[in-house]
Amino acid sequence: MLILTRRPGESLHLGDTIKITVLGVQGKQIKIGLEVPNDMQVYREEVYLRVLEQNRQAMQASDQDVLAAADIWHKKTKR
Amino acid sequence: MAQENEKVIQSRVGEITVPLERVIRFPRGLIGFENHKEFTLIHLREDSPFHVLQSMESASLGLLVADPYSFMTEYEVVVGEADRKLLGIEDHNDVSVFVTVSIPVGRPDLTTLNLSGPLVINARTRLGLQIPQTDSKYPSHFRPGAVEGNPFRTGQAPEPES
Repeated sequence: MLILTRRPGESLHLGDTIKITVLGVQGKQIKIGLEVPNDMQVYREEVYLRVLEQNRQAMQASDQDVLAAADIWHKKTKR
Repeated sequence: MAQENEKVIQSRVGEITVPLERVIRFPRGLIGFENHKEFTLIHLREDSPFHVLQSMESASLGLLVADPYSFMTEYEVVVGEADRKLLGIEDHNDVSVFVTVSIPVGRPDLTTLNLSGPLVINARTRLGLQIPQTDSKYPSHFRPGAVEGNPFRTGQAPEPES
């Protein structure tokens, strides 16, 4: 991992299109400004990992459990 | 024999024939499966809110998904401007939302809807995106209650049998 030290107000450029600025530090929290191309996805790591794990789980459901769930919830089960 | 306007694929539910107008392109793939761009939705049963989002290329890549609005009246998905443009959203009526579904092994009664990574599909352009919700007001997991007359009605887990 490349490690660099920056002060609030200082930035990093990643290639030509990405700029990361440390906006401020408050206690344990660091406020970061990101300037990235419109079509680039930025995710908080915990959100990304959660969705990744949920996608894996959605793949793993067994046919038997899927059919059982379809038996429990059918038609418009809106409550 | 497969015609040009349809494709025979191997899916989680066996061999199926998919009309090409039922192929949905996910230009960014799904989170964790970025290399898979083409999917189709397989409706498990006519009366069911569950579908399989099936990769056109990989039989094992079939995600259980559901129509969240069959379970809850309110679920708002935030779609940014860039994503809106990519999906070609002009009319909200063209847009469908699905969420992935997790079922703990052997416990279909504990089925949960995963609300933090909705799949947004524009039926008109046949384009889809998985759009993680960062500042969502909804819990990441939602355990739906069941239909009337069902023992799992409240969505509470029954006591495990010993």
